[in-house]
Amino acid sequence: MSGDGATEGLTRRTQNSSRELLAKAFFFGCAALSVATTLSIIGLLVYEAAKFFTISAPLLGIEGPTATLTEFFTGSEWGLQGPNLGVMPLVAVTLMVTIGSGLIAIPLGVATALYLSEYASERARSYLKPALEILAGVPSIIYGIFAVAYITPVLDAFFGVDGLFNVASACIVVGIMILPMVASVSEDAMQAVPDDLRQAGYGMGATKYDVSTGVVVPAAASGIFSSFILALSRAIGETMAVTLAGGSLAREFDPTSIASYLSLFDPDSYLEPGMTMTAAMIQLLTGDVTGGGLAYRSLFAVGLVLFVITLAMNVLSDLIARHYQEDYQ
Amino acid sequence: MSNADQRTDVSEGSSGDEYAVSVPEGRGRDRDADGEASTIIESRDLSVWYNDNQALRSVSMEIPEKRVTAMVGPSGCGKSTYLRSINRMNDLIDAARVEGEMLFNGKNVYDDDVDPVALRRRIGMVFQQPNPFPKSIYDNVAYGLRLQDRTENLDEKVEQALRKAALWDEVKDQLDQSGLDLSGGQQQRLCIARAIAVDPEVVLMDEPASALDPVATSKIEDLIDEMAEEYTVVIVTHNMQQAARISDKTAVFLTGGELVEFDDTEKIFENPENERVEDYITGKFG
Amino acid sequence: MSEAYEGFGRVSRRIGTLFRGVLFASTLAGILTLAVLLVYVANDAVRPLTADPGWHLTFFLTLVLPTIGVGWWSYQRSYGTLTTGLLGTVLPAVAALYAGGLAALFIDVIPTLVWLSFVVALAVPAALVVGLARTDRDVPFLAELATVLAVTVGSLLVIPGLVQSLPTVPADWMVLVLTLGIPEAILLGRWIGGRWGRRDGWIAGVAILFGSAVGGVIGMTTGLGAIPGVALALFAAVPTGLYVAIVARERPERRIGLLLPAVIVGGALAGELLVGALGFAGPESWVDWGFLTSTVQRGADPGAVGIYSGVVGTILLMFVVAAIAVPAGVGAAVYLEEYAPDTTLTRIIDVNISNLAGVPSVVYGLLGLGLFVRYAGQPTGTLLVGGATLALLVFPIVIISSREAIRAVPDSARQASYGMGATRWQTVKNVVLPRAFPGILTGTILALSRAIGETAPLLVIGAAQVFGVPNSWDSAIGAMPLQLYVWASTYASPAFYTTVLAAGIVVLLTAMLSMNSIAIYVRNHYEQR
Repeated sequence: MSGDGATEGLTRRTQNSSRELLAKAFFFGCAALSVATTLSIIGLLVYEAAKFFTISAPLLGIEGPTATLTEFFTGSEWGLQGPNLGVMPLVAVTLMVTIGSGLIAIPLGVATALYLSEYASERARSYLKPALEILAGVPSIIYGIFAVAYITPVLDAFFGVDGLFNVASACIVVGIMILPMVASVSEDAMQAVPDDLRQAGYGMGATKYDVSTGVVVPAAASGIFSSFILALSRAIGETMAVTLAGGSLAREFDPTSIASYLSLFDPDSYLEPGMTMTAAMIQLLTGDVTGGGLAYRSLFAVGLVLFVITLAMNVLSDLIARHYQEDYQ
Repeated sequence: MSNADQRTDVSEGSSGDEYAVSVPEGRGRDRDADGEASTIIESRDLSVWYNDNQALRSVSMEIPEKRVTAMVGPSGCGKSTYLRSINRMNDLIDAARVEGEMLFNGKNVYDDDVDPVALRRRIGMVFQQPNPFPKSIYDNVAYGLRLQDRTENLDEKVEQALRKAALWDEVKDQLDQSGLDLSGGQQQRLCIARAIAVDPEVVLMDEPASALDPVATSKIEDLIDEMAEEYTVVIVTHNMQQAARISDKTAVFLTGGELVEFDDTEKIFENPENERVEDYITGKFG
Repeated sequence: MSEAYEGFGRVSRRIGTLFRGVLFASTLAGILTLAVLLVYVANDAVRPLTADPGWHLTFFLTLVLPTIGVGWWSYQRSYGTLTTGLLGTVLPAVAALYAGGLAALFIDVIPTLVWLSFVVALAVPAALVVGLARTDRDVPFLAELATVLAVTVGSLLVIPGLVQSLPTVPADWMVLVLTLGIPEAILLGRWIGGRWGRRDGWIAGVAILFGSAVGGVIGMTTGLGAIPGVALALFAAVPTGLYVAIVARERPERRIGLLLPAVIVGGALAGELLVGALGFAGPESWVDWGFLTSTVQRGADPGAVGIYSGVVGTILLMFVVAAIAVPAGVGAAVYLEEYAPDTTLTRIIDVNISNLAGVPSVVYGLLGLGLFVRYAGQPTGTLLVGGATLALLVFPIVIISSREAIRAVPDSARQASYGMGATRWQTVKNVVLPRAFPGILTGTILALSRAIGETAPLLVIGAAQVFGVPNSWDSAIGAMPLQLYVWASTYASPAFYTTVLAAGIVVLLTAMLSMNSIAIYVRNHYEQR
């Protein structure tokens, strides 16, 4: 029965033929490239930033000006002349942009998501969703030019601003940029709310308003919240719009005084220019960055801070989003 | 309602069937007259788990060559799992785990040295939903031959396969058209043509007619009958009458992945040994 | 008790209606803000009010009124008729845009002789591959692969030199007809042959080849230039003709929709002739031929500068990004969807990719600066470094969208293939990738459109503030958004912001939005099937 003819060929290893292995190796290589990218980003930022700090630079054989950790995290001024190497003034302005753009994008984004998910007809959705995609697709440099050329004059007419640059216009354009992200991630969360819950609401005699605000939003809360974090992390990393709109003048910010934190919430301070972390990085590039001097190293130090903040926010948002997915499965 | 009644009812339903008259005899009869068939597939204590759920419990049976063997049973009874463990389609599911032996021509297909891809080239498969590729009719049939670089006389082989699948006359003028443009029944026959184009020894069919209308179903059944001249056919069906009409042997699986009874179709339907089987085929449960 | 039977009373919906209104207003707020900004920018860029009222009136009568009339009439007939007309209008315009970009490459960047030599060098191994596939062979795969690789390398080393040292070489436009016209004629001819019969395929192929040569001749005689002539013929006229032929032949009920583009083109020509004859001056637009083709980048006079170098730089960057990011991204997606076992490593890659997509673009710039410039020793701000950096940036985006496309391929198709005894690679190649192709294409176009809008990574890798038209891997690279940044930061004055910068925004947005609409069209077209 088990003649050789009958089972011949069954043991030919097509699965492990060189063609199959080569294809698999290529595809695996591509996937591994993504991990390699992450590792390179982390490795590079940490290694280059280490050369910037007094504590680690000697270990890497770096001579020349360095910054102490205290100076970096508590200094109240930023500027390579001096040099003043406090990063907090940059972080503070980044925070202002984040707050300001969040104030615009979060309410509008959630309202948009709720409208699209609960109220809009199929036809309205088919027009509104691509329009929102365009909002997110316009390059940030163009938003920056919009801010300077069209929004600042409007602000000037109402509130009076000096010069071309101010934080408020940056907040407005960044808010418009991140609005689609809040809207689409929140809408996904609302769509994931099982219809049973809505039916239960209607069955109790609730109106559409009651169901939307009382059932859908609370049920989708963690998804909506994760969209906020994701969008705000996008705002923190935003570069060109804030560089053009906010200008490149570092503010003073004393991280040890409470008054300076309060100033972050002072509307008048939004009408003045301010430099974010990303804008500072663009400004540093006018110096010699290839030689590995202080400008180059500080670039990576600021980049590391930026990366750590955005990564932490992305991971947090991911965790929260996963949490709500598990709720409804 | 007795078994005989059941079968007569159905045969009257399939209008003008040539073997409507021979139904009471069972269609396996004619073939049995050729003598005892040798075993081509044999499972020994085959068990399959999906994660921690056991889908098959220690199933042993011998499937005869060039016969139609039907697997029947309620849904979730493991009949499809058994079918898919013959050509190792279960390998595609990460969570699946197999114990025991599945012998094909005496060789355990789960041996380390067996290549599932090579195995599937000798054991064809037809699925529940007709699933032609979004390619032309010709390319669909030629797909398997091209996979194996057997492209000499391709036109001839494609024609032959389509003839065997009783589809040639309907499509010979539109071989360039997409396989998806055909009707459901034609699509399923195209899938059968695709499976037999590579000359497999065994054709596995997973409820091949369940998505089709009665006329298309009867065509497929005719086809299966003819196929048994050349191929071993193993068919999963939830339709008792279908099993009775077309198969020589029938295996009854009941809940929990257990093979309850396996015998000549006639015996199963007329005089089953197991009480649960009798209950099942007479419609008392399932 | 008796009141209870008169009815149930009513629950007030006032808050609900108000709430719905607020939601709708919020939804429109962002979109309308952008729309207003775009109107402002278009107004600053094109300056329609600087034209004579007579100019507006003429075009209103010859172009706008007939267009609206025919459009409305088509819409009344059927929605499909209108979309046929709109597509017939947009397709030639978009195609001409990209044909123009391609022509710019052959005029300024790649000498046609070099192009020809490399095409010939690659044709040799391609012919070998086809030959190997045709013969009945028992050649082991590795030997085959090694032969093909060896022939490719050898031919790339030898043939370009040989071709370039030939005593006589064909004219530029003939090279284009040979290298682009012939493949296009063969591909489209075969496609049409499969669709409408062999004879039509032959006719179409010959017509395409002949048409491209005619395009070259027309280009030469009209002063447009021979290369743009051939490029427009091959990549604008041919697709348009094909579209018209398909509509005429397969959608007879929509044929009448093609009246719309005819009316638009006719109206535009008639209007142009009339305003010339009547002496009406057109608008003094900042977006004009001079702006598109001037390579002058610096100067305090907004009237003198142009965006040409940026346009060419952007096109080249797009090629480099696509060449790197698409194979790698699709490959990674295939691994994760088709190969990857459910292990910890896979989950790490999974999480890693979604986090990579959230890394700020400026950080990718740092990666490029550190990796390619400082450690790999490349010069700052070159085409290769810029392209590689942007490719890393869009890599996760390509992976994510390709994964979605691959996941959408129904499992029954895979089962059918595996059931036939196909190996994993055969299934991927024959079943999964062809079916996922439209989705992958859409995602890729969207990713590329994201890449060409990026400025920060280019600045970080040290792209020069002054750049010419690049002509090698090592040329300083420019790009449209970079050009905008240079103008915006160097000449930060309202006078500059509302003139050339507005014009630059219009050009960049036109390129990006046309790409996005192609992507959306592809997606919708294949979703219907």
